Amino acid sequence: MGLVAYESRSSVNDIQLIARVVAGDAAAERELYETYVDRIYRLTFRLAGDDELARDFTQATFIRAFEKIGSFRGESSLSTWIHSIGVSVSLNGLRKTKRLRTREAPMEEGLTVGALPVEAEPDLKERLARAIDSLSDKYRTVFVMHDVEGYTHEEISGTLNIPVGTSKSHLFQARSKLRVALADFAPEWVS
Amino acid sequence: MTEDNFEEFLKKAAQSYNAPPARAPREDMWRAIQTHRAAGPRVVYGGGSTIPESSVRRFGSKIWLGAAAAAVLFLATGVGIGRWTASSNTQGSVAIVNPPKTGSNASSTTEPSGTVPDGSVGASNPGQNIARGAAASTSSGVARSGGSQQTGLTGGRNGTQVAAGEGSPNSTPASAYQMAAVRHLSEAEALLTSFRTRSATDQQMDAQLGSWARDLLSNTRLLLDSPVANDPQRRPLLEDLELVLIQIVQLSPGSTPQDREMIEKTLRQDHVMTRLRTAIPAGPQRGS
Repeated sequence: MGLVAYESRSSVNDIQLIARVVAGDAAAERELYETYVDRIYRLTFRLAGDDELARDFTQATFIRAFEKIGSFRGESSLSTWIHSIGVSVSLNGLRKTKRLRTREAPMEEGLTVGALPVEAEPDLKERLARAIDSLSDKYRTVFVMHDVEGYTHEEISGTLNIPVGTSKSHLFQARSKLRVALADFAPEWVS
Repeated sequence: MTEDNFEEFLKKAAQSYNAPPARAPREDMWRAIQTHRAAGPRVVYGGGSTIPESSVRRFGSKIWLGAAAAAVLFLATGVGIGRWTASSNTQGSVAIVNPPKTGSNASSTTEPSGTVPDGSVGASNPGQNIARGAAASTSSGVARSGGSQQTGLTGGRNGTQVAAGEGSPNSTPASAYQMAAVRHLSEAEALLTSFRTRSATDQQMDAQLGSWARDLLSNTRLLLDSPVANDPQRRPLLEDLELVLIQIVQLSPGSTPQDREMIEKTLRQDHVMTRLRTAIPAGPQRGS
């Protein structure tokens, strides 16, 4: 999936659309929104795992995009630019939420996280979700974008403003950690 | 081969991770965006912001200007103290009148020559409020010709303090107000996020949130009475925030799910979270 479909929008289209938005054309704003909202919402939902948060992040992304579109220099594609706002808004918002959830969690509950016996979590999906959640932001973001949402390393590189090699390295690290976390399920992929 | 298998396996299994709904709530989100934008002045394109005073660049430059002004004032004060103490030494003694109202400083004393008075005032007074912050330091009643003055304001439950100006007519208390506002909004956002992510059955959490909201409520009222509220976008936000905070404060341990739902509804209808997030500049200015 990735941004490919959006990147195929010609840069001429993007330039015209931006010019119309900057000129205050409400229809152009709506067009820009309609073009990217599904992808942004999907990505923020994947990162947040919560509908309310995903809505908030998506809304904040477009509000910021409309506010700052006049300063968009075209150094990346419009799609990459909007996605980078979306990821930035989501990660900043999630950091706060995570801090608060950690603060809310009772101490004893916190001590047991990650220490549960394997038999207690037989479900692969649940184990995988926990393992992905436990990845650091940079690994999790790259993993979600690449392996879950199908973005290419070039797209991730532009969105996160990191070199392509770094994106690949992060993905490798993320997979390695997940492989360890899912070692109990090895027979499923070895077979 | 095993590696390829694992990648395939992982990609397939990860599709269930935080799987989004098939359709994005486009219309709801669009309405929220429009409501937010309609609440403030029209967007200023070309790198501008809906709130010119709070745009990162201009806010940042104000901080630098403020810092430069503070540095100049500090230097001038130092030179002044130096000259004053030098002249004091030659004159013999200096009478220092302490403020008449506070306990330890209530009596007038005559100190020996060469003593430099302590000019700090109210830096840790928890009762000091935002609205008074910028102006209070000049009325401390300390008779002196040197020494720096400071005042502070408490930024909520953590007691974070923000310098609120130098007490001089040449300083820029507006930037201090902006910083205080940003910190306050950041904390309010943290509280509301906490409220929305709490467990519905956690009554102890409700009590803690109520206490936290009470702290924020007083500062919200003070900000509403300060120059910060002159901003046409920030005032309605602070007013809506005040309403929500009152609702959270009133949540008792025995409150019903409907009470909580009402707060959620207010948050949703007024798009308080979205407006808060966009009112807080990204980066170090947010003060968190």
